[in-house]
Amino acid sequence: MLETMELLPGITLRCFRDDRFKQGALSIQFIRLMKKEEAALNALLPAVLLRGTEFCPDLRAITLRLDDLYGASVSALVRRVGDHQTTGLFCAFMEDRFALEGDRIMEPMVAFLEELLLHPLLENGVFCDSFVRSEKKNLISTIESMINDKRAYAASQLRKIMCRGDSFALPRLGEKEDVEKIDPQNLYAHYRQVLRESPVELFYVGSAEASAVAALLKKSFGKLERAYRPIPEQTAFCGNAGAQESEQMDVAQAKLCMGFTTEITNRDPRFAAMQVFNTLYGAGMTSKLFMNLREKQSLCYAIGSSYFSTKGILTVSAGIDTCSEEIARAGIFEQLRACCDCDITAAELTGAKEAIISGLQGVHDSPSAIEGYYETAFLSGCALMPQDYISRVMAVTAQDVAAVAKTLRYHSCFCLKGGAK
Amino acid sequence: MSRKQYPALDETVCTRVLENGLTVKVVPRPGFARKLAYFVTDFGSIHQDFELDGKQYHAPAGIAHFLEHRMFELPGRDVMEEFAALGANVNAFTGYDMTAYYFSCTENFDENLRLLLEFVSTPCFDQESVEREIGIIDQEIGMNADAPESQVFEELMRILYRVHPIRVPILGTSESIRQINAQWLELCHRAFYTPRNMLLCVVGDVDIDAVAALAEKVLGTQCKESGKKLMEWDESLVAAKPLCRRTMEVAMPTFQLAFKAEPIGTGDETMRMEIVGDLAAEMLFGESSSLYLKLYEQGLIDSSFGGGFETVDGCAMLTCGGDSEEPEKIHDEILKAAQEVAKTGVSEADFLRMKRSAMGRRIRDLDSFDSTCFRVCAYHFDGFEYFRFPSVYAAVTQAEVCAFLATVVREERAALSIIDPKEES
Repeated sequence: MLETMELLPGITLRCFRDDRFKQGALSIQFIRLMKKEEAALNALLPAVLLRGTEFCPDLRAITLRLDDLYGASVSALVRRVGDHQTTGLFCAFMEDRFALEGDRIMEPMVAFLEELLLHPLLENGVFCDSFVRSEKKNLISTIESMINDKRAYAASQLRKIMCRGDSFALPRLGEKEDVEKIDPQNLYAHYRQVLRESPVELFYVGSAEASAVAALLKKSFGKLERAYRPIPEQTAFCGNAGAQESEQMDVAQAKLCMGFTTEITNRDPRFAAMQVFNTLYGAGMTSKLFMNLREKQSLCYAIGSSYFSTKGILTVSAGIDTCSEEIARAGIFEQLRACCDCDITAAELTGAKEAIISGLQGVHDSPSAIEGYYETAFLSGCALMPQDYISRVMAVTAQDVAAVAKTLRYHSCFCLKGGAK
Repeated sequence: MSRKQYPALDETVCTRVLENGLTVKVVPRPGFARKLAYFVTDFGSIHQDFELDGKQYHAPAGIAHFLEHRMFELPGRDVMEEFAALGANVNAFTGYDMTAYYFSCTENFDENLRLLLEFVSTPCFDQESVEREIGIIDQEIGMNADAPESQVFEELMRILYRVHPIRVPILGTSESIRQINAQWLELCHRAFYTPRNMLLCVVGDVDIDAVAALAEKVLGTQCKESGKKLMEWDESLVAAKPLCRRTMEVAMPTFQLAFKAEPIGTGDETMRMEIVGDLAAEMLFGESSSLYLKLYEQGLIDSSFGGGFETVDGCAMLTCGGDSEEPEKIHDEILKAAQEVAKTGVSEADFLRMKRSAMGRRIRDLDSFDSTCFRVCAYHFDGFEYFRFPSVYAAVTQAEVCAFLATVVREERAALSIIDPKEES
């Protein structure tokens, strides 16, 4: 079960002890406020840390070290949850009991994480210029490659339109122009600041005892010079005027994205009802949008809705023929109206509730799902345990769903259209 | 029934072959809430040519995938809604050489399993719904046409192979799917959705006897004849064309490079060749190789770069790909490095470390229900029990890996597919 402790001021350790898995996982996240000035710095930092340490000065040396630990993996962890962004590392490693000849994995793994985090390879007292240069290039190409996935691209354009002036408009990894401004000096200064003042979330899943994990991590994090500064809590959608925009691109299929706002966030008691609504309306496999726009009208292959619960935003996205835009738009409104009118069958309601409940019951079935669920919950400011969440979902009625549907206000639209530029 | 234990992996597999010819496998996961069931047929997009009742057929491209879409029907019932009410997540996918239908649930396992077996074994295709499906699949083809990662691979297969049907996209084309009708669907269902051509595999805390009993109840005990896949392809090991490039709405050039290898056999040989191929990829351009470091430091590759060994009935290849400004240079560097590595090899300690790391990653991967279930199924059709992989790792030698690199990574066996960004107008 989950055990939470304050390891040091501002450093929280959460341990989920479980011996059913073949691997353990550990995440280290420094929590920052999402803002334009530092989103790109936070995104770049772990990539540079993973390039070399004092003792493993290049990628190959790092990989050999991980190979020695039976193919353990360490990757950059950059999350955006509402107003917050995290920067850090995620690692997964085989449980000691599968190793040969009594080899140990977890202890050297934690030591290596400390090395990656606290002993980066430096040059003139700052990060190596070549590492920063090449990781900037990689980050820029990742940001630019967003356009390769047209559905995700259209969704991010919609978010930019809806959230002008709010940090939620920023892409998770920051923007190209801000990556370009980064140099070894300002990145290193930022790194020192992140280590010194950020709240830290450490999450462990695996077979080791919480006290043993705490002892290992306390040794590592105790070496930090800290002047901890808490950060503000999550805020809801701030509300500005909506807009309708479109863009032409040479694509076979158009992407229609529509955005709605609601006062209901995950801090609201009606949160469970809103999740049920979202599943029933567009996110579930038998949702109204899927059954009507795809199966009955054959308008699209992919259609679905997403609920951004920290902000109170719901979006619908569909891949359609450009000439079907108006029919699809009308269909999306029509299905929402049906929900508001409580035109909801018992099967639809049960199906949506069962889907959410089944997802929650499965949270504990993999180390990464456990880490993902709890950390996202704690970061979002609404730490509902799966069991409480399930009870709330079970209590939702069709009337509750209709009531939350009525809180939705159409806000903005973005359409990526086919045809030459 | 056989019940095999693999203590080094802390795994068990129970297997039963029913009277109707269906193989049932259960990988028990005590203490887990989730249960995952795969009902799989050894029939994929490349099996367009087959023989049934003494007659030969050539089905339209995309038939296996079309069939997968149209299976989710039962007369007078709504399959998706029934699954939803039972709290299951159901889906399917079509590959080059298999089609899988699966659900995952935490409750009502028996009811969900019955429903899965029922809908996959019951053909009901009316022409009207087939027409409607053409519209949906056409949209899927459109979506795929805009996905650079699919396009770069499909183009690669088109130039790497001369005759093998892997040249044709799994979805088929807008034209080919219009040749599909209810008769074609019925015929393919009759040929390949027979219990003896299928496998039912469950990962989760369930009892094999109960699973087997239910499967027999729904599918009956009769063992029907399956269609015979015609898989004699006159394919040489030389790439049909060395290079293709086209433009799309992408941010930077993206590429896939492949080297043709000898198609692999069955049984232990499958796993052994796959491990040899994987280790060869690791040794040549894996993250611990000197080539990877060099290309990364020169900015020719980034973290999107990756590769491995791929096999499909009748073909095998070493592939790699990712985003790069200079794919052709990577192609040249890989060719050059391969012959050097094949000659010099690595130290025995490095080779052991590489094996241990690859095996550790496979062991960690067993935590994933989906990946485990998929692998158990795919290897079953190749005649290999997946959990035996540690013993095969132990047996593979460095000499085999070097010989593989020396013969496979050669210019005449290589094909490179590149997608460039559109010029700004």
